[in-house]
Amino acid sequence: MAAFAADRLNRSLHNDRWLASLLGAESGVALVAVGGYGRRELLPRSDLDVLLLHDGRNGIAAIADRIWYPVWDSGAELDHAVRTVPQARRVAKSDLKVALGLLYARHVAGDPDLTESLREGALADWRGDAQRRLSELREARELRGAEAGELAFLLEPDLKEARGGLRDVHAIQAVAAAWVSPAPGPKVRAAYDQIMDARHALHEVTGRRLDRLVLEEHDEVAEALGLLDGDALLRMLAGAARTIAYATDSAFRRVSPGGRPPGDPPSGGTPSPQTPLGLPSGRRRGWSRRGPNPAGNTRLPVADGVVAQDGEVVLARAADPAADPVLVLRAAAAAAQAGLPLAPRALTRLAQCPPLPVPWPAPARDALFALLGAGQSAVSVWEALDQEGLITALIPDWERVRNRPQRNPLHRFTVDRHLVETAANAAGKAREVARPDLLLLAALLHDIGKGWPGDHSVCGEVVARDVCARIGLAPDDAELIAAAVRHHLLLPTVATRRDLDDPATVRQVAATVGSRALLEVLHVLAIADGLATGPAAWNSWKATLVSNLVLRTEAMLAGEPPPPPGPLRQDQLDLAAGGGPAVTIRRLADTAEITVVAPDRPGLLWRAAGVLASHRLAVRSANASSVGSTAVTVFEVLPEFGDLPDASLVSGDLRRMLAGRLDVADRLDRRAQAAPPRFALAPPPKVTLVDDASELATVVEVRAHDGPGLLWRIGRALGECGLDVRTARVETLGAEAVDVFYVTDADGKPLTGTELRRDVVDAVLNSLRTQEPPSVR
Amino acid sequence: MRLITAVIKPFKLDDVKSALQAFGVHGLTVTEASGYGRQRGHTEVYRGAEYQIDLVPKVKVEVLCDDEDAEDLIGVMVKAAQTSRIGDGKVWSVPVETVVRVRTGERGPDAI
Repeated sequence: MAAFAADRLNRSLHNDRWLASLLGAESGVALVAVGGYGRRELLPRSDLDVLLLHDGRNGIAAIADRIWYPVWDSGAELDHAVRTVPQARRVAKSDLKVALGLLYARHVAGDPDLTESLREGALADWRGDAQRRLSELREARELRGAEAGELAFLLEPDLKEARGGLRDVHAIQAVAAAWVSPAPGPKVRAAYDQIMDARHALHEVTGRRLDRLVLEEHDEVAEALGLLDGDALLRMLAGAARTIAYATDSAFRRVSPGGRPPGDPPSGGTPSPQTPLGLPSGRRRGWSRRGPNPAGNTRLPVADGVVAQDGEVVLARAADPAADPVLVLRAAAAAAQAGLPLAPRALTRLAQCPPLPVPWPAPARDALFALLGAGQSAVSVWEALDQEGLITALIPDWERVRNRPQRNPLHRFTVDRHLVETAANAAGKAREVARPDLLLLAALLHDIGKGWPGDHSVCGEVVARDVCARIGLAPDDAELIAAAVRHHLLLPTVATRRDLDDPATVRQVAATVGSRALLEVLHVLAIADGLATGPAAWNSWKATLVSNLVLRTEAMLAGEPPPPPGPLRQDQLDLAAGGGPAVTIRRLADTAEITVVAPDRPGLLWRAAGVLASHRLAVRSANASSVGSTAVTVFEVLPEFGDLPDASLVSGDLRRMLAGRLDVADRLDRRAQAAPPRFALAPPPKVTLVDDASELATVVEVRAHDGPGLLWRIGRALGECGLDVRTARVETLGAEAVDVFYVTDADGKPLTGTELRRDVVDAVLNSLRTQEPPSVR
Repeated sequence: MRLITAVIKPFKLDDVKSALQAFGVHGLTVTEASGYGRQRGHTEVYRGAEYQIDLVPKVKVEVLCDDEDAEDLIGVMVKAAQTSRIGDGKVWSVPVETVVRVRTGERGPDAI
């Protein structure tokens, strides 16, 4: 916003005048603004980066005192140095930050010739040693990106350090200062101002020198910027950051085209010989590696009108974008398949392509599938098309999900990037389905409904149909994609929250899915979606459950009877034959299986779950079965911290519990007191009774804030209502837990009476209320 | 009772000690410390060290005293520690609820 920019400029002018008055009339000295102050970008809480430059005269310390002390006393943050021109240039040579700061050196007061000689010297040094400095700069950028992440996709981004943040633009300027790439264009400058304004507003709102936009400040910062809400702010920032990140990548590609060749040391290397104009020869060095022609004219056709050259994909001289609407997708597909970026000048020419006719001609569809099928390399090509506005020209509905943040700790990308990443993941498994093209398109569209209010699966189905019609898909294929979008959460949800051994579960999934073709697509889509969401959303436990469900559903669709409910293994049967009480612990890959055998009695399952919780074991699933009058309960557990506890301790406690010699409630209460207090306000828990999920039992689904012993609390509440818990399944989604219980009444039947059902819901809610630690305010 | 804490330049410790002695303070605790303040540890005006925060060695002096002596003691310590250059440090005081002399079990002002 103009007001913010004017404020920054005014603050700089004000400080210029003040520092000049502090210096007074002195010869042989100059005050030089460097860094952000040099750029006249003083935010309310910015440092003053000031260099007192002198010619080696006497009495410089007294002059420094005269300036620095009043600045310190004013409370301003000062980054100061007192140096001669040769000293300043020497420090810059060994310190990248100082060198970058000097690129913005600006005369404030004193002898202007002194400042000018520093500016010229520092720039000459920068250009003369460009090869080394620019590779240092790239390393610094890579390090920043690894530490601070990517601004566009973070919920709490660091506006300065993250990839796509302010420092990236400074890096482009530094590359440009070495005459290697052009200076930032108008789009990048506008994006820079947007992020700078957000940082400015952050300083004003918090009154502190902060660069990280934390969640609590989103709405207030948005308001200060005149934006609707925090989501609008994040969308603006994501758009700006992607523009900057893309431009920075392009600038660094010119530093060494085609990326760093294998075997090339990341830094150092031989100093580059100078061209007659003083231009560093970094580009030429990169070119010469690619072929015998030193001018770098090796052109390799990769598609009609598209050639690969110098590690980039460009348009052939004969290509005619204005008469070739399919060229955009053809060039993108060729670039992605070759694993090369689209050259910026090619993108500019592609923007002249006329819009594709609706419905799309077959070559356009094929090119889209070839692009998506390229896997990970499609992501950067897609990003490049997006930056030129070519994606929304192809698929107008894409605009609704572009840069849309996902306020959900499980997601690491914005919606649009998540869709592209999912398609890229799906491409890696395309051979597992009969129709890879439909899989890729379903992956690209599965969350498109998030751009509209309401259930995104439901909206998404409608939007997906529109998109399929636009790109000219056959009606049957469009139906399959619409169904895949509608049901893309079906498999993971059912697999983690329902009893797969219950025939009703598989029957319902089979009825919903209906065909093997859709089932395969849904299966791969679930995996690709989970992987693209983030590390917390997908793991081997979920993968096993989903593929288990798919196998059973496949059998059902093929007309085979469902497999009998999970039989006990021989060793478990042997254990049961002894009548118990007995406990065995088996370590699996990353979980453990605990089998508890005891004479059957109600409440066994949740009591055992309580014991496990007291050992800091998170129960993932629990299954109870009976052998005669002996109950065999099998738990799958995961240690909350580090390794599994000693098996003998756990089984000892379980035996004491079975013998009635262990107060589980007391144990858990003591643990709860030791747990760190929570201050975040969690939404109230939710309890749902689901009837049609099983014929043998009623399903109680509880969604609550996760906490130690949750299963035990709920199980105890159910037990106190006189219910028997047959099976339990626990899924954690970040801080949220979904606990599912298959319960029967005292006669082993599903729950019927309305009064009992209401009592059950109340009892469970009550048990969760007491879970809240008293310290929560 | 109050606890007065002074973080000062190490070479000023002797001056502060003698000034306190002259004032009649017979007990104090000295700790080696390090830290930085508004100048971020830039110890001299001349050098300048861009963007770096240095931890500067300091000495921390702690004195327990009666409420009515606190202001005078602070004045004495500030005067003794002053060089008028950056990094001279800070002096502050906080109220103290209980003081016990371990050997005799005396409590309150008697224990000072």
